[in-house]
Amino acid sequence: MRATAATALAMCCVALGQAQPAVAKDASRREIRDLHYGDVLFQFYQDDYFDAIVRLEAARDFGRLPNHAAEAELLAGGMYLSLGLHQEADLIFNRLLAGSVDRAVADRAFFYLARIGYQRGHYEQAVRNLARIGAPLPGELEPERRLLESNVLMALGRYADAAASLRAWDDESSWAAYARFNLGVALVRSGDAAQGRMLLESVGNTPAVSEEQRSLKDRANLALGYALLQERSGEAAAAALSRVRLDGPFTNRALLGLGWAETDAQRPERALVPWLALRDRPLLDSAVQESLLAVPYAYSRLASNGQAAQHYRQAVQSYVRESGRIDESIAAIQRGGFLDAILAASPRGDDVGWFWQLKQVPDAPHTRYLYHLLASHEFQEGLKNYRDLRIMQVNLDRWRDSLDSFDDMIAARERARAAREPRKANMLAHTDVEAYAQRHAALAARTTAIEGSRDVAALAAGDQSRQWRSLQEIERRVAAIPAGPQRDALVERTRMLRGALLWEMDAQYKRRLQVLKHELSDVESQLAEARGRVGLVHEASAQAQLDTSGFAARIAEMRSRIARIGPGIDAATRAQESVLATLAVGELSAQKKRLASYATQAQFALASIYDGAAARATP
Amino acid sequence: MIRRLIPAALRSINLVIALLILAIWAGIALAAETAPGADSVDLDVQTLKKELVGLNKDLFKLEEELLYPASTQVAVFLSVDVGTFFALDSVTLKVDDKEVTNYLYTDREVQALHRGGVQRLFLGNLKAGEHELIALFTGKGPHERDYRRGTTLRIDKGVGASYIELKISDRVASLQPEFVVKVWE
Repeated sequence: MRATAATALAMCCVALGQAQPAVAKDASRREIRDLHYGDVLFQFYQDDYFDAIVRLEAARDFGRLPNHAAEAELLAGGMYLSLGLHQEADLIFNRLLAGSVDRAVADRAFFYLARIGYQRGHYEQAVRNLARIGAPLPGELEPERRLLESNVLMALGRYADAAASLRAWDDESSWAAYARFNLGVALVRSGDAAQGRMLLESVGNTPAVSEEQRSLKDRANLALGYALLQERSGEAAAAALSRVRLDGPFTNRALLGLGWAETDAQRPERALVPWLALRDRPLLDSAVQESLLAVPYAYSRLASNGQAAQHYRQAVQSYVRESGRIDESIAAIQRGGFLDAILAASPRGDDVGWFWQLKQVPDAPHTRYLYHLLASHEFQEGLKNYRDLRIMQVNLDRWRDSLDSFDDMIAARERARAAREPRKANMLAHTDVEAYAQRHAALAARTTAIEGSRDVAALAAGDQSRQWRSLQEIERRVAAIPAGPQRDALVERTRMLRGALLWEMDAQYKRRLQVLKHELSDVESQLAEARGRVGLVHEASAQAQLDTSGFAARIAEMRSRIARIGPGIDAATRAQESVLATLAVGELSAQKKRLASYATQAQFALASIYDGAAARATP
Repeated sequence: MIRRLIPAALRSINLVIALLILAIWAGIALAAETAPGADSVDLDVQTLKKELVGLNKDLFKLEEELLYPASTQVAVFLSVDVGTFFALDSVTLKVDDKEVTNYLYTDREVQALHRGGVQRLFLGNLKAGEHELIALFTGKGPHERDYRRGTTLRIDKGVGASYIELKISDRVASLQPEFVVKVWE
């Protein structure tokens, strides 16, 4: 059961466009040139703005959005706006516009700035930003822009301009019915009642499929009915109000208005039908409260003063009883915890999405008399803040647990590193790269010497080397033989052999030197690689230590940030609850005053009946 | 005398209606005014939310750097391009014949994919070298028939992070869905 008074406000919310999400989805698909931007959009399109903005900011830090920089900035601004961070969003859009962005991006930034201006009540600023949009916006943004423009103009009291801006509406998107409704409201307010009524009539008679459409249809019929009542067209008003559903959120207001329409048509007996139906409904609603006065009024119009007096007496008793219950509600609110009661009673209480609005007014003890307030933009914003703060605390708790796991992980890595350390030390101890380097240097020096002296025998290999050593041995032994023809003959033979061997070795010397140099060069490269690997092992070891300590330092820093933010969230939660409790108590006090006023009116009417009866009884 | 004290609303239907209309058209007469301190609390909440976004961002980065270092990181993304011939139900991903994820999609997620969102389906670690990825797509194909298709990719994992995109698109010529694998540089 919802109160009709709330419906009046809900209607105004639609008229002022406050129920719309801050970020409109651009229906046109864009090519994804950075996968991580697509990942952000995946969260964004599921209305998970918090996760989306976190991923977007992280991706920007990692440098993963080089091809979507301006779009990402625009998206960030829109999402911050949705999360209620008006200041941050304002900064982002202005920063975007200060740089060189293309026209389409600038237009969207102007649109969002206009939206911020509207939400904060800076209507002139909103009008200026809307005027700076140069071309139609993409997708659903364009109808939303037009709706925003009309809302801003209506907020400025420029109803004729709002009507003019909406008159050319030819869009048949989901916004069109709202636009016609708003246009009807704007026209009635700007004095063109006939045209306005026609539009409201059209919305009120449009076939509705969804609950949203049925609700809008009811709103239109209600507004039309009261507009007709204003013009004393009771018959037509009754027809419009009769179209409002009997089980919808606008029923009570419609029943009340229907009674007045019948009264206006000089049919007080028929006025009793809706009013008597209304008075049996829960007295939480102002329309029901008013019906307690309206029923005896109708009886008095029908000259049934006895019944009128009886109903006035019952009305006074009901008002007094209700006033007492309001006192109980005030006391309950002042005891604290009433916001948790509202959230617990909310049908979407377990929805973890951050963009959230209380769409159903719960019938909780603390909220029994707060229908008006719960439906108001200000209260819903405050309640959303309160709920966000609670979610933030849960978010911090989750990260606290994660940080503990990270600590365990770091410790495990440190243990694994320590376990690897002896094996690594052993391996390094048996890897003397420098000894190899010295041997390489000696070989290189010897090669240089061989080359310098063209020592072809030094490069002899295999049989040649063996033959060369044998020849040298033979020459030594020949030299030991006493001089004579035999020795001369042997000397001559060895000389020939030496010559042949040297000739052979000389022929191969150049290639052998080249191979040797090439091999030395290879060894040099391998030595450098080995040096590098050993260095890497040392570095990796040092890096592992650094990583461990680096991650540990980051974890410690995060933990201290969580510790700092946590109490801030608690304090803000308490402050937000206090603000909303003040609002609620103010609302309840006003309702008490209204009930007291109704009770006084009933008492005066009763007195009037007695007065009249006494006057008639006096001869 | 008492008659003069009777509220005008009860004597004049015009005024009653006027008051009702005022309430309907102008919002609520009893609407509470802005509570004192509401603006300052709102600013505090904005500041806290901004700090929390920053903190979550840093924690998100820390988590990724700690659990999935760039040298071994492999991320597999899933996107839908048009996708009129295939209604996605689930995706199973295997790396080197080991199942690493089996993801069932909600309507909301499928819609997000159709609007251009790209899902990070898997984030994990692989050593440098050759690996085999197998993705199995399950859903409804043309004519509402159950459809199951697989696609395989061999990757040579280098020292940097590897990003792989699985894309579901339409092959208009054969009126069949197409499953494309793309390795991003």
